[in-house]
Amino acid sequence: MTAVLRADGLTKTFGSVRALDSLDVEVPAGRIGFVGANGAGKTTFFRLVLGLIKPTSGQVEVLGRPVAADPVGIRMSLGYMPEHDSLPGDQTAADVVATLGELSGLPARAARQRASDVLNLVGLDEERFRPIATFSTGMKQRAKLAQALVADPKLVLLDEPTAGLDPSGRDSMLELVRRLGDFGISVVMATHILEDVQRVCDYVVMVDGGRLVAAGPTADLTADTAAVIVEVAAAARPLAIALEEAGLACAIVDGHVEVTTTGPEDLDVIRDTVADLGLPLLRLATRGHSLDEVFRERAT
Amino acid sequence: MSTSPAGAVYDRGYRPYDGPRLGRAGILRALWLASMRRALGLRRSWRQKLLPWLLLAIVTVPATVQVGVAYLTRDNPRIDIEFITYREYVGVSTALLLFVAITAPDIICPDRRQRVLPLILSRPLTGTGYALAKLASITTIVFAFGLLPQMLLFIGQMLVSKSGSMTYARANAEVLWQVPVAVAALAVYYAAIGVAVSSLTTRRIAAAAIFIGLMLVSGAVAGILSEVNSAAPERRTVVSPPPPEGIGPGQSPPETQYVVVRRANRMTSLVNLSAVPLHVRDLVFLGHLEANDDLGGVDGAGPAVLGLYSFVVALAVGVTVLRYREAA
Repeated sequence: MTAVLRADGLTKTFGSVRALDSLDVEVPAGRIGFVGANGAGKTTFFRLVLGLIKPTSGQVEVLGRPVAADPVGIRMSLGYMPEHDSLPGDQTAADVVATLGELSGLPARAARQRASDVLNLVGLDEERFRPIATFSTGMKQRAKLAQALVADPKLVLLDEPTAGLDPSGRDSMLELVRRLGDFGISVVMATHILEDVQRVCDYVVMVDGGRLVAAGPTADLTADTAAVIVEVAAAARPLAIALEEAGLACAIVDGHVEVTTTGPEDLDVIRDTVADLGLPLLRLATRGHSLDEVFRERAT
Repeated sequence: MSTSPAGAVYDRGYRPYDGPRLGRAGILRALWLASMRRALGLRRSWRQKLLPWLLLAIVTVPATVQVGVAYLTRDNPRIDIEFITYREYVGVSTALLLFVAITAPDIICPDRRQRVLPLILSRPLTGTGYALAKLASITTIVFAFGLLPQMLLFIGQMLVSKSGSMTYARANAEVLWQVPVAVAALAVYYAAIGVAVSSLTTRRIAAAAIFIGLMLVSGAVAGILSEVNSAAPERRTVVSPPPPEGIGPGQSPPETQYVVVRRANRMTSLVNLSAVPLHVRDLVFLGHLEANDDLGGVDGAGPAVLGLYSFVVALAVGVTVLRYREAA
């Protein structure tokens, strides 16, 4: 499978600031999380992908084509949703999205039709004939997503799509991102919220200070650890003591016991210890890595 | 697929688009058209429609009056009122200037202020293409608004002409090229300055004020300079010619002396930026500058006007293109 994005030694400096520092990464089609703190180089990366700025050194390839060869033409296959408010308040969503569709190369009629389709898709039906100034933050985010999708791109770049959204707005935005993958549109979602990435992305690229921290399938990065979570009703401390006596290293975390195991036989020991104490076992599960941990471990 | 119960929400999913797509030129054309729609207030509230169409109505008034008068007096061969000539009609009204002052900022400033520019420039067009499409849209509308009343005047005059339509058309055939050329020169000039000024600020009011100010202030400065020049007395200078060769020491040179009168330099009225396209208009219609004009009869004023015109337009377009070279 060809990579949707490939960066080779991609470097961009602004004066003395290195926004991106020899980034080497290759990401497959699908839902990609581009993770980093604010100022990690996410927006710079997007602008390089869109061909709006030239790299200081290195190169970037989009959908198998080097951006430098045809920076304007590449945008025919891309959709971009910027982080900040960027829609004219005095026009209706239908009008703005249709006009932007034309500027992406759709004939006028098709642009109007697609604008109505994608606004529908993001959940703006009746509202699409209202001026954008009257929209809530969530509706503006949806309209911004719609304009990125209007010309049926192969790849969409979303810059902090859940910024400023309340929990339910965030849920539905993430659900939309997840569905885009099902429609065969690749998504790169830049965010500093690792939980969002863990929820919807199948591939993760982590950057910090313009450098690559980690990249790989979400499942690999969050692979199971050797720790086992044991949750019993209200008696974590006696259980922990008993397990220590049985020779297992353990700790109490958030009211449950986390046990470091070395093999399947340790699980038998845990089961027997719980049974001996006569405790009701609520949960016995392996613990996965969170992306937070991966980021903290590797970014240092 | 099984039948869904009534009232179910259908997920219409996503339909890919595999129809035709515009090329780069088509995209610029779309931006040009969209900007014109916005400038004319189409698909916007009536308040935004009001001003452009009111201004169009205003620029049409002289043509309507002229044709109306000609119609009412068509049976009286002794009355031949020429209320306005085609030449005078080019730029007769400040309505066009006002139009540019209002619409150029309106189609440019909000794109930057509301940060729509990154959305536009993430599409297959360049900053230069964006700038030129905006410039073209204002130029087109000013050209159309400048030309339409003239066409009305021409056709109206033809229809009510005492000497017959065809005779009138033949007699005035040269305006058929003079008017479009002069109006185009005016449209390009106003639009280029208006768009350049608008590209420099995100505030519409500021852009409009700077544009109008530039025109009015330069006119006022030119007026003052002209006053100063005409108030200054003609300076007479006595010049002695160099002694002719062959006159040795001790020989007295001839007593001839010449008086040279230095006239005030009337080129100063070139400072009036708003008058430059009107001078160009005179060159188009008359082949020379209007004699009653401040610049009339001044040596080299014609080429100076054309040079200044080209310089201002080039400067304005250059500024605009530079402002969008790497703007996102």
